[in-house]
Amino acid sequence: MVYTKKSPALLIIGIVLLAIWYLAQSGMMNGYLEHLAMGKKYKMMSELTTLPLYFGVISAVLGAWQLFGSHKEGHFDYYSSTIAGGMFILLIAMLVRWFVAPEVAVVSHAMGKVGETGKYIHKLLGLNYVVLGILAGIIVVNVFKVPEWAQNGVRLSRLGLKTGVILLGTLYSAAELKNLGGLSIVMIGFFVLGSVGMTLWIGARRNIPNSMGGVLSAGMGVCGVSATVAAAPVVQAKSVEIAYTIGTILLWGVGCMFVFPIVGHLFGMSYIQFGAWAGTGILNSAQVAGAALAFQPDGIETLKVAEIFNITRVLVLPIIVLWLAVWYVRREEGAAQVNVGEVIFNKFPVFVLGFILLFALSTTGIFAPANHYKGKYFNNTTDFKESKLLKAEDKATLQSELGKVEREDRKAALGRLIENGKVMSIDDDDVLRGLVNSKVLSKDANHILKHAHKAVRHTAKKVKAFRHWIVWLFAFGLTGLGMQITVASMKQAGGQPAVIGGIVGATKAILSLVVVLMLISDKV
Amino acid sequence: MESANNILLASHGTEGAQAAEQMAIELCNKGGHVHHLIVVPKRLWEGMTGDDWLNNGSTRDTFRRYLEDQLSQEVQEHQARVSEAAKAKDLNYTTEVIVGEPEECLINTSKKEVFDLLVMGSPRPKGVAGLKSRMLTDSTRSLGVPTVIVPYPDE
Repeated sequence: MVYTKKSPALLIIGIVLLAIWYLAQSGMMNGYLEHLAMGKKYKMMSELTTLPLYFGVISAVLGAWQLFGSHKEGHFDYYSSTIAGGMFILLIAMLVRWFVAPEVAVVSHAMGKVGETGKYIHKLLGLNYVVLGILAGIIVVNVFKVPEWAQNGVRLSRLGLKTGVILLGTLYSAAELKNLGGLSIVMIGFFVLGSVGMTLWIGARRNIPNSMGGVLSAGMGVCGVSATVAAAPVVQAKSVEIAYTIGTILLWGVGCMFVFPIVGHLFGMSYIQFGAWAGTGILNSAQVAGAALAFQPDGIETLKVAEIFNITRVLVLPIIVLWLAVWYVRREEGAAQVNVGEVIFNKFPVFVLGFILLFALSTTGIFAPANHYKGKYFNNTTDFKESKLLKAEDKATLQSELGKVEREDRKAALGRLIENGKVMSIDDDDVLRGLVNSKVLSKDANHILKHAHKAVRHTAKKVKAFRHWIVWLFAFGLTGLGMQITVASMKQAGGQPAVIGGIVGATKAILSLVVVLMLISDKV
Repeated sequence: MESANNILLASHGTEGAQAAEQMAIELCNKGGHVHHLIVVPKRLWEGMTGDDWLNNGSTRDTFRRYLEDQLSQEVQEHQARVSEAAKAKDLNYTTEVIVGEPEECLINTSKKEVFDLLVMGSPRPKGVAGLKSRMLTDSTRSLGVPTVIVPYPDE
């Protein structure tokens, strides 16, 4: 079978991308971009005048070859058939990032702030390019259906996300990874075991079949749909039980993606607190990344924390699958025996090795100089330009707002900044970034804090490039994953799994919130 | 209550459809023909890997194969049940399994030959657990066959 379709779709995508580039490059789009920027400078101009050109040329050339060339069966043909779908996702992700998300912000501003929250509705709901990308994917698959020529390529979204996680390996310092890893093992260990146990216990009380209890506990406890997919054959789940479980998890996950960032902002959570909470409390792993980027759209600190939790979950998955397999065999006569080695080997997440490899490479200083992670400009007066110190009026603004800050660690870090005119340590920097994100202070004060952060934190060029690619890979991956969330599968949420899932999911979300707020500070 | 010689029985495995099976057997004249159309809803089962991205391709393949086996087993059980009931009444029983959109498959099959009657189950009442997939939609208005919609078993 020849998979590559003789369709003009890829060529058209290329032409559309080139048209976008031309309109942006020639200035013909300036009026519209000014409207989107709401009086400020349009932030994504450099992307808009480069990326559509590169991908437009690639799409147009390959599209012409796919349409007019001849294709034969084989591996190359299969890979070639994925290009159109991949470019389709990319085009949607680009349109959402450059035009739809800013337009939503414009409309939201026009509607005014919501009641006493003092926030615009798009900020309140976290309607940024990532969340809107997922929503666009969901709309495409449910309203229009994914076109046939794009179906093979839509699967590339998983590759995008896994590559994003692998590249994230370049952004952790050894201390950061050690501390976050330790924290995630404790949190995930406790909450995974707790929720798997709780689901099995409630399931037994409500007399649901063992197969349903098994598949539901994996989904509720470990990493949502991924765990359900891994555990269903092992506990011999019936098709209707799988449908119930996946429907419940998807519905719950999509809901959490909107609710978690709102709650996170309400509690003034730091990046680490929110990443840890989302990584523990959200059932489904795709929505963990979505919620992290919804909480902090202009940076990836929250995503870094959340993904460590996702990696820990997926490493725990083979163990839980084994546990459920043994549990099921003991309860069901005639259940197939489990081959431990086979389960561990088949379920081991290979991409985590890529993450570890890139982390190991980054510790050698190949991507950034050693002092990048130590913070060259902290505590160092010789290298620090005096012009970058806070001015007297900036200090006065911060001093006048010091009273708004309640947490002692934030108050102390802000005090040191006012006293010295610069951020004095990496810890202080983390705490102050958390303060900015909590939006406790005024816009002017937050602006000053952002400048103070930039004065001490110089990002290495390669690291900056990695961050840029990671953001795009996640936007691409999550938009593509949105195209795999069907309303037909979400509608299946119901029956006992919905009741048990609701109880376990809510308990996990609330308990992990309490633990995070009580035990985790702004820094690791 | 026998009234038809050639009946199209449409089902896709829900509880409501099982009530329709009994009715189709009851309504068919002795020696008549029941053509059993079983639709496996494509969009529903295609979406069952959802947004999984953490698993390896082999785990997803194992899951897909397992799900296909499960569905195939359920279809066979379904066919065996109706076939047995048809045999007991000396009816000619044929069956057809299609993976696709329920309403589309139903309309296509109903046009393949002249049926005296179409028998199908009614949608599941609110609050009753079960798969949520309907054969009876607005587009089924274009069916050119007299249709019997059998009430849900508990009604």
